Amino acid sequence: MRIQEGAIVAIRAILSNKLRSILTLIGMIIGVATVIAVVSVIAGMNNYVANKINSMGSTTFMVDRYGLITSEEEFREAQKRKKLTIDDMYAVERYCELCDNVGGTSYTRRTVKYESDFLEDITIVGTTSNYVEVSDIDIDIGRSFLETDNDRRSAVCLIGPDLVDYLFPGLEPVDKMIKIGSFYFRVVGVGNRRGSFLGENQDNWVAVPIKTFQKFFGRHRDIEMHIKAPSVARMEETQDQVRVILRNRRGDRYKDPDSFGIYTADSIMELYDNLTGTAWIVLVGVSSISLVVGGIVIMNIMLVSVTERTREIGIRKAIGAKRRDILWQFLIESVTLSLIGGAIGVMLGSALALLVGAYSPLPAVIEAWSVIAGLGIASSVGLFFGIFPAMRAARLDPVECLHYE
Amino acid sequence: MLIKTNDIWKVYKMGSEEVNALRGVSIYIEKGEYVAIMGPSGSGKSTLMNLIGCLDTPTRGDYYLNNRRVSSLNDDELAYIRNKEIGFIFQTFNLLPRASALRNVELPLIYNGTKGEARIKMAREALEQVGLGDRIHHKPNELSGGQRQRVAAARALVNKPSLILADEPTGNLDTKTGEEIMQLLADLHKAGNTIIVVTHERDIAEYSQRVIYIRDGLVEKEEEIIKMAGKN
Repeated sequence: MRIQEGAIVAIRAILSNKLRSILTLIGMIIGVATVIAVVSVIAGMNNYVANKINSMGSTTFMVDRYGLITSEEEFREAQKRKKLTIDDMYAVERYCELCDNVGGTSYTRRTVKYESDFLEDITIVGTTSNYVEVSDIDIDIGRSFLETDNDRRSAVCLIGPDLVDYLFPGLEPVDKMIKIGSFYFRVVGVGNRRGSFLGENQDNWVAVPIKTFQKFFGRHRDIEMHIKAPSVARMEETQDQVRVILRNRRGDRYKDPDSFGIYTADSIMELYDNLTGTAWIVLVGVSSISLVVGGIVIMNIMLVSVTERTREIGIRKAIGAKRRDILWQFLIESVTLSLIGGAIGVMLGSALALLVGAYSPLPAVIEAWSVIAGLGIASSVGLFFGIFPAMRAARLDPVECLHYE
Repeated sequence: MLIKTNDIWKVYKMGSEEVNALRGVSIYIEKGEYVAIMGPSGSGKSTLMNLIGCLDTPTRGDYYLNNRRVSSLNDDELAYIRNKEIGFIFQTFNLLPRASALRNVELPLIYNGTKGEARIKMAREALEQVGLGDRIHHKPNELSGGQRQRVAAARALVNKPSLILADEPTGNLDTKTGEEIMQLLADLHKAGNTIIVVTHERDIAEYSQRVIYIRDGLVEKEEEIIKMAGKN
């Protein structure tokens, strides 16, 4: 029997008992929907993280007190270390021959005021003048910092777009004076809007030159260094130079591990991949179970269907259906059934992913391959679990079938 | 010689016992004949019909249909013979309930690969031949018993088979409708078809030209039917 004809007959049979068909397909639908939804969310996160990391540049690496922490124990260990200071950074700048560009940032929090409006608990970033290069912030209005700003410890600042919204609605923020903590600063530029990442707002910050930061907010804060190596090939060499300088300055003894952490975009990516790798395995495991269950349900319903249509099978054989005609008929029916379940699952999963993307901090990207894979898996399940009932049907003896009540 | 069975036996195994449904039956039927096979319940007439209809194969002995020895064919070959050479009419009509009359009649053509326009044309013609040209899109539950049997007859005819095999064709019909169907079979016989009717009713058997009596798995006797003026 032609495949389209078989499919039409199958669809008619499926539609003739919608309730039973839906109940049959629940397992399949859930399995496929889960795959699509989770793959989309993971794809979205991969996308975002990759973008963020790309903006770091492949020749940039970071140095801070902690390094990449993966456990609470590591964190507590790192807490005991000495802070990385701005003098450490100057030392690196001075003595590291391979370092192309050395930048550093330091953080604190203050209340920011403009006239009668104020915002509390704003992150204040003290940064070297290459802030734009080492972060992924672009300046939308005004200008970035100059070396002279830093050298003169000028009280100038860059603000994030949220501050513009709250403190300067409808106004031109550049050249206005805002109060950071107890000190007045002049706004020289506004950063671009970045939205939020994993629930954290990325637009409510204020940046000041690092030397200014130290003048107004203290010298003894943790510094995070961003260092650019001359090329990817020489990155390790550059890192080693920095390591030597810092170990020396900080009194790390020969046998001790580094009292600081060096990490790159790659190592972040590796960590991220490890974490999501686990998520993948869990996802595949859970979905497989769901799909196997779904397949068994379909197989059972097909067996029932075969029994119910014993008479019909007898009639078909009597008028000339060969075994393979009957086999095909029921196989097409179970594949059609599964595909319908798969399609519903794909739609449900996509809807779920979009909801998650819209209403939670997690991003979601619906990938074409996951849709195709979802449908592919559904039809494979239909094929595999449909073979047994179809063979049963094909092997029935026509004489017995015709006498079946 | 259209049908020739040579001492055929059919033995069934029921658990540890053997049941001899047919114990050496030899019959001959010519092309164009109208034969009735009669016998009480359990006589083996249904078994004989299954063998003649190639739904089953004999345990012993040979069956020749159109000079071809069908008793040794495999499943697929038997299916082919059933499709091309044999048209079944059942007591319980056995139509597909969810398909229209046209679709039901198309079914044998679907199974031998006839496609599209030609298929619909042949099915339509068969339905017209049995007088249902105006009801081809009706589903079985929209048709009366007699009409359903006519659809079954059209389905039996559509492949222009060598033989039409009717198993108690009037069993589920009232007397009047039954007569109509028997008249239809008589018309088909006049048109040149070979007809075999299996029945336990004398009245029905008398529409034929010859009756073969089966009892206890053997041919008991054969009888020529002399047609009275009124019955033909």
